[in-house]
Amino acid sequence: MAQRAVWLISHEPGTPLRGTVRFSRRYPTVEKRARVFNGASYVPIPEDGPFLKALLFELRLLDDDKDFVESRDSCSRINKTSVYGLLVGGEELWPVVAFLKNDMIYACVPLVEQTLSPRPPLISVSGVSQGFELLFGIQDFLYSGQKNDNELNTKLSQLPDLLLQACPFGTVLDTNLQNSLDNTNFASVTQPQKQPAWKPGTYKGKPQVSISITEKVKSMQYDKQGIADTWQVVGTVTCKCDLEGIMPNVTISLSLPTNGSPLQDILVHPCVTSLDSAILTSSSIDAMDDSAFSGPYKFPFTPPLESFNLCYYTSQVPVPPILGFYQMKEEEVQLRITVNLKLHESVKNNFEFCEAHIPFFNRGPITHLEYKTSFGQLEVFREKSLLIWIIGQKFPKSMEISLSGTITFGAKSHEKQPFDPICIGETAYLKLHFRILDYTLTGCYADQHSVQVFASGKPKISAYRKLISSDYYIWNSKAPAPVTYGSLLL
Amino acid sequence: MGPLSRDVWAQRLGAFRASPSAFMAGPEAEDLGRDLLGDLRNEKLSEQTKVSLLALSLEYPAQLWPDATAAEVAATSLLDTLVLLPPRPSALRRPLLLAATTALAVGGALGPTSGASCRLLPLLLGLAAGSDLGRGFVPASEQRPLQATACECLRELESCKPGLLGGSLGLLRGLLGQEGPVQPLSLLLSLALRNTLVLQSRAGAGLGALLTARVSPTAGGPWDWALVEEGDGRLQPQAPSWPAAEEGDGERSLTARGHSPEEVRELRAAVAQLLDTSYLLTPVAQAQLLWLLGWALRGLQGQPPALFKPQLVRLLGTAQLTLLHAVLALKAAFGEALFTAQDETLLLRRITLAAQHPALPPSTHLFYLHCLLSFPENCPLGPEGEEAAPLLLGPQLCRGLLPNLLHEPTALLARLHLLCLLCAEDEEEEEKGQLPSPGHYLEELLAGLWQRAALEGGPRALATLCFQASYLVARCLAGQPTVLTPLIHGLAQLYRARPMLAPHFVDLLDQVDPELREPLKVVLRQEVVSRPGRDEALCWHLQMLARVADGDAQSATLNFLRAAAAHCTSWDLQQGLLQVCRALLRAGVGGGLVDLLQVLARQLEDPDGRDHARLYYILLAHLAGPKLGVALGPSLATPALASSLVAENQGFVAALMVQEAPALIRLSMGSHEVKGPLPVLQLLPEALEPIYSLELRFRVEGQLYAPLGAVHVPCLCPGRSARPLLLPLQPRRPAPARLDVHALYTTSTGLTCHAHLPPLFVNFADLFLPFPQPPEGAGLVFFEELWDSCLPEGAESRVWCPLGPQGLEGLVSRHLEPFVVVAQPPTSYYVAIHLPPDSKLLLRLEAALADGVPVALRTDDWAVLPLVGDYLRGLAAAV
Repeated sequence: MAQRAVWLISHEPGTPLRGTVRFSRRYPTVEKRARVFNGASYVPIPEDGPFLKALLFELRLLDDDKDFVESRDSCSRINKTSVYGLLVGGEELWPVVAFLKNDMIYACVPLVEQTLSPRPPLISVSGVSQGFELLFGIQDFLYSGQKNDNELNTKLSQLPDLLLQACPFGTVLDTNLQNSLDNTNFASVTQPQKQPAWKPGTYKGKPQVSISITEKVKSMQYDKQGIADTWQVVGTVTCKCDLEGIMPNVTISLSLPTNGSPLQDILVHPCVTSLDSAILTSSSIDAMDDSAFSGPYKFPFTPPLESFNLCYYTSQVPVPPILGFYQMKEEEVQLRITVNLKLHESVKNNFEFCEAHIPFFNRGPITHLEYKTSFGQLEVFREKSLLIWIIGQKFPKSMEISLSGTITFGAKSHEKQPFDPICIGETAYLKLHFRILDYTLTGCYADQHSVQVFASGKPKISAYRKLISSDYYIWNSKAPAPVTYGSLLL
Repeated sequence: MGPLSRDVWAQRLGAFRASPSAFMAGPEAEDLGRDLLGDLRNEKLSEQTKVSLLALSLEYPAQLWPDATAAEVAATSLLDTLVLLPPRPSALRRPLLLAATTALAVGGALGPTSGASCRLLPLLLGLAAGSDLGRGFVPASEQRPLQATACECLRELESCKPGLLGGSLGLLRGLLGQEGPVQPLSLLLSLALRNTLVLQSRAGAGLGALLTARVSPTAGGPWDWALVEEGDGRLQPQAPSWPAAEEGDGERSLTARGHSPEEVRELRAAVAQLLDTSYLLTPVAQAQLLWLLGWALRGLQGQPPALFKPQLVRLLGTAQLTLLHAVLALKAAFGEALFTAQDETLLLRRITLAAQHPALPPSTHLFYLHCLLSFPENCPLGPEGEEAAPLLLGPQLCRGLLPNLLHEPTALLARLHLLCLLCAEDEEEEEKGQLPSPGHYLEELLAGLWQRAALEGGPRALATLCFQASYLVARCLAGQPTVLTPLIHGLAQLYRARPMLAPHFVDLLDQVDPELREPLKVVLRQEVVSRPGRDEALCWHLQMLARVADGDAQSATLNFLRAAAAHCTSWDLQQGLLQVCRALLRAGVGGGLVDLLQVLARQLEDPDGRDHARLYYILLAHLAGPKLGVALGPSLATPALASSLVAENQGFVAALMVQEAPALIRLSMGSHEVKGPLPVLQLLPEALEPIYSLELRFRVEGQLYAPLGAVHVPCLCPGRSARPLLLPLQPRRPAPARLDVHALYTTSTGLTCHAHLPPLFVNFADLFLPFPQPPEGAGLVFFEELWDSCLPEGAESRVWCPLGPQGLEGLVSRHLEPFVVVAQPPTSYYVAIHLPPDSKLLLRLEAALADGVPVALRTDDWAVLPLVGDYLRGLAAAV
């Protein structure tokens, strides 16, 4: 269950080493156990320098892949998880849990309490999931609310002390590092009653509960025979409960209007104390039918101090909010494009913003453009080979808008135009970016009157909703496009 | 060394952390541990600096205090520092406890005879119990954090010495029931309980008594060193890997001994107590508790796992990786006893859902996908330990888990594996529902991957991904012609589009089973030989052909090679060509190859290439098939050199890699020849084994001569006298020198070797050259002119040259004969020597006495005077 060592490495492309170890922590008592458990297959934890080099090589971050290197490029070296074997000093260090996020590499080596040869399956190593959670926790701490490098550096400098709290001997006690930070501040509180380990203190002040529902809608639209368009809504319910008492009880209910789309694939925060079996079983894996559970979805819980994600869900709404087609044709030296977008009548026609980004990959800069739009304005980013069609706050009465034009490109330069392996030739997409406030596509809402709070004082309850686009692609219907298995289901 | 300032410490710690091994090899290493302990009590240092010192000792105790004695001293010192802290809040108490624990555990000092252990353990237990330790030892504000820390320290000690807390179970239970901190006590109790259950079943102590006994922490001590002994100091896996645990004897012994109803009741009560409060623990700690308790109770008679059931629904609803992982561990531990068929389906669906939930990060998806393919089924089919799709996971459930081209490489490969497993089942069942055929989808996906890999200028990662996918498909679906045929076709097309991927193809051929390898070889060979030999990608074609050429389609292969030979102008292309010839030789191709090799032996520009071609020709003409195989086969001594070291852009292949070898050649100096404008060394080579294509390279130390050319010998055989080798020297100064000698040669097994030979010494006399012979009778005038020309710039000297028994006449005829200009035997000789590059040395040897002759000498290069002196004085001794 324990970790032998933890690292944070910033990925710095273009520098001689391509990275720097920003933080590392070793656990010698765990290392001692590893030596005994692993026996002849024991490989010691390397020093930071060799580890950095081996990890960057394994993650293909050294940008020197001109030649075929067997230890990296062999077809039989297949990695299907974020757990790696690193070649260090002629021996293979395994398992190394590692992932890259925001130019920071998070890595740790969990203890395996047996011999490593043959390798046990990852599922049987308890330290792997513990390691992942620790790294996710560090990532959350570093990037929550962080705006610039200075803040990041401050947070990095706090890590040694925080890990001394959250993981003093290599066995993780808490992945919420903010709790550990607060723990030191709340140290003087002595509680006679049982205090949850995930709640370092108690709130004092005006009681209030805030619930915000954010739905993201993603879509792949092809406008093609034999390939189905797909779309999906992913919802996140975030809560902040400022309530007095050690363990106040709260129940929040999410409701749907009569024609709302049922919530599926619900995952809850560990502070939720019980779950209706209908919530547990409603899943997008099954074929939909009319008998699907449509709420209300009740979540009883004891809130932690901080803002947290009460639950996530997905939903299959009957139609995508914006249906479009995109046609692009190469005509000798120029491209001819036609775009048509239609907002569904059931969707609230009041955007915070709405834009269509039309990128052109593997081509040179835009040298010439002629276009016609029925609505909105077109911005041209010549060097980036990008068009942005700014649709604005509202679709016109007809709910339908169009854009057509011809574009000519200059010679391609490799530095400015990174290689895109998907958009080759006429394979192309446009991507929609929009946001609608006080609206959810499923219709899901948190009824303020149904929020039950068992704590002293009547809290002020506020609820927010918004819909955001995410990965909303409309592919050129005149060329092949990457399809998912789901698109073949007709 | 006195106390160090904050800055000095910061610098020192920084240097240590940058590379502990380098620091420990340096001069400051020895004092570091001692200074650190000393400065913890230095009142001038801030607490923050001291915390950073303690942090170092937490990470590197083995470097600071490498043996048990040092660790014991360190722990004692740390405890003293702790006791001496003034009774006010301090940031040092926690890290001091952690550091003392770490030092004892890592240094191997923990034991009943260790004084520090006997101080630390009661202190920890006292703190954990929240006892009043007197004298304001713990300020009130620090009591709870220290209580938790003490529990953590005890847990770590119990992990390193299982059974240590066997006697404290009752005490810990009591504390948990009171107001003690829930999480640290729960984790400590569950670990101690688990270890006791494993060890005590061997020791035979009464569990019930242990669970209820309340030992006062201040009395004699509840340390169960006996139970620790019982475990032979063997570490107990806290969460054993499940397949391995099945066979573990430690686990078996758990079931060996039944428990009394009393004991069973107490145990149930203890476990229920732990599970009931588990909600108060952080998710990671809850998961640890479940792993510990699950594996503690597994296989224990009379302990139905139903205790865990109330927790499961809550856990299944979360998205926490650790919690779902712990549920899977319970599933593996108890199987049907805890999860009915319906429960199993629900769990499987939750994992399937989590493996694709858009709200979770990609690395979590991948781990859940792995869990799906290693899912501990109630009724598993097929071999254990191999990844397989669980029976309940049909194509319908997997819809959302299939790969597409937009996925990251790791996700794509993981999902592709699942798709392959579905295809394998699909083949077996032939049960077509409404879903599109996985096989068809797989084909389209692979086509997309090949297309991407074929893109000109695409990154290597795309090519690697494509070959990994092809390999995965070939491995999972080896027996299915409907998959293999399009696979082969697609790969051939990829090669046609981008021959520079040849190294990937060679690697793929090395890795896959013959079912794919043989047909793929045929197709790729056709791809290569059907091209004209003058392709830009010729080096890739040759590399490919060296792997795929065999006895089939000989004439097409030879035609291609003949056409290619004309375009193999560079060394690496020629080597590539010869590699193919070699492959053909090994495959037993005769006929046309003989002609080709003969042509190559004449035509190739590079002598090395010609030699190899000639060698192959000789081998082919003279050796029967089996012997040829042995001669060309990789040497047994160097099997590891095959393929892995092949560097693509150089075209080296195993046998042509240059290998360091002991010298199989001896070189000696032959007689000194004096003719021509330059001094020439005669070298006599002698081989200990037959060697071919010998190249001798010489390097002059000190740059006294111009760089020397290499000397080539086609073939050397032991026992056969070789012609002397001539090595012309171009001195820049007339001075003796040492020559470094390297040999590069091919052995009879075809390996190219490099050897360092003993150095050769060029003597001063080896540089002597005669002046052109003056006309008959003009000798004296010629000599006098030379003699006079030496001064005034040059130097004049007299040297006594000892004479041996042979007298002056013998000495001159033996050593100076070619340089004599005027001779009046046996009394007077005038000698003129040209010293290249442009010096002269003139000697008058006259009026010899019985034991020596006075030599008058002049030279225009004063620097040679000492050399001449040594030379003349040594002449008598020289035979």
